[in-house]
Amino acid sequence: MERAKWEITHIPEKPPVSPTHQPTVDVLASVVDPKLANTLVRRLNQIAPLENFCHVKRIQKKQMQGGKTQLAIILCLASENENPLDGIPNDVLELINSYQLSAFITKVCKYAALSKEEWEEQCKLWPTSYHPPTYNIEGITGFSEEDSQSVFSFMKSAVKLAKSDDGQVVNAAVIVDPSVKQIIVSACDEICSWHTPMDKTSVEACCLEQPDIATSQGVVNGVVSHETLLSKGPPDEPKQLYTGVSCLYPWRWAEHQSHASSYWHPLRHAAIVAIEYSAARDRRLFPGLGQIGNQSNQLDHTLSASISSQAKRQKTNLKKVEDVEKLDAHYNGFHSDAARPYLCTGYDIYLVWEPCAMCAMALVHQRIRRIFYAFPNPNAGALGSVHRLQGEKSLNHHYAVFRVSLPEEILDGGDHHFDIHINLT
Amino acid sequence: MASLGEENLPGTLAFMELAIQQAKLALDSLEVPVGCVIVEDGKLIATGRNRTTETRNATRHAEMEAIDVLLEQWQKNGLSKLEVAENFSKCSLYVTCEPCIMCAASLSILVKGFKCTGGIMATEAVSLLQRFYEQGNPNAPKPHRQSVQQVLH
Repeated sequence: MERAKWEITHIPEKPPVSPTHQPTVDVLASVVDPKLANTLVRRLNQIAPLENFCHVKRIQKKQMQGGKTQLAIILCLASENENPLDGIPNDVLELINSYQLSAFITKVCKYAALSKEEWEEQCKLWPTSYHPPTYNIEGITGFSEEDSQSVFSFMKSAVKLAKSDDGQVVNAAVIVDPSVKQIIVSACDEICSWHTPMDKTSVEACCLEQPDIATSQGVVNGVVSHETLLSKGPPDEPKQLYTGVSCLYPWRWAEHQSHASSYWHPLRHAAIVAIEYSAARDRRLFPGLGQIGNQSNQLDHTLSASISSQAKRQKTNLKKVEDVEKLDAHYNGFHSDAARPYLCTGYDIYLVWEPCAMCAMALVHQRIRRIFYAFPNPNAGALGSVHRLQGEKSLNHHYAVFRVSLPEEILDGGDHHFDIHINLT
Repeated sequence: MASLGEENLPGTLAFMELAIQQAKLALDSLEVPVGCVIVEDGKLIATGRNRTTETRNATRHAEMEAIDVLLEQWQKNGLSKLEVAENFSKCSLYVTCEPCIMCAASLSILVKGFKCTGGIMATEAVSLLQRFYEQGNPNAPKPHRQSVQQVLH
């Protein structure tokens, strides 16, 4: 049996194209005398600048037989008409005549390379420049072994939560502060169990589920090896339907059975609930700040009451988390504004399934830095499967998106697929 | 959430005026001034306004607030999921700013294929937003935005 490998892949802003099938455009070029190259490039950059083709180099250097180098230079873009010589600007024509250049048509790649593989293919046609993604988010150009293990651990926490609900699989979300490798909050789909803000007792009840955080916390710093994970096939498309996963079936909420004892809410997908918990945590840890005026209303009172009892409960169950949070709050006493997070700036979220458009946009609003998801969402996924929100240039915030590939068997009933050796050295 | 036709223009304007009142309430609380109302059979049944600053939850847009009011109310009244779905499909939403992708997606989860009209009382809605951004967003991180006055000088 094949050993399954956990892998992290970046989901880029544009759909990937095969490196060998990148779109090209025709240009007019000419071999030139190396002595003239400098003069010609300077002149051409004035009279025929390669606008929108900043990635294309003006000069191509070729090693010829016998150790000689040959230089070729792009004169201008070729016209798309039948006769490619038609649209040549007069200045360029003059240049061709005065230097006796013999122009030919060749192809260059239309878009800047997004990966090293693309760039290597591009240079086979005509040299281009390649700049790895300029927005500096860790992981886009690869993860260190230590960071990979930490990503896998957090994803494991999310998968565990996704399975914990009465045997039914739901989506789960874990928000993490990667700078201290610590879970901020975790949440599951709650479309069948909504505890309205006014309903104090049920807010407490939902916090009871949180000891899960404590158990998953333990693996964060451990070295995880994945050798016992077994996979029977490619981990790409889930073989089951997983109808309980809200983001997979956002429009089927009216068909779900709900618990008679609680309210339901079609929009309480795991990511939305996690955002709500992290906002509640922010208000709890930094109570004074951000209160505009003196308008503490009923909602605020109810929430803070239930949150403080949540804190008490966590004290017994989550000693570790609570201590760190106390430390946070203590630190905050001296550096109030600096320590307080602005929404989820700098935080990562781990989701078992690729989020739908509602959740993906909610995560833009809350300023999440990186999104990791395990399974693609072919029905409604907004981060690569159906839509690609991370490529939406008009939005005011951009996160980096990664897929953590793992064997689907990890979702099966028993815990034996989860028996990852944890080596706490 | 079907839009009203031309013949209902006075009604449309009256409900949008109520949505703008909600947006003003948001502005008074130093929130991004966006407000909305939900109307069923010509009757206002829910209001909502932006609460992102107060809650520190950037998803608490006016639409989400109003939707929550209805979900809670209808369930208190004992309505089933199918009845709630049916009710939502008979409602109209008036909001002072074009819904963001999150809110539009939320609305489409509740009512698949709703109809949409834009530009109603746009000037009033925009001027509220201008007033907000002139005073600067006190909730945004420090170096982000200069106030308009600084830019002009």
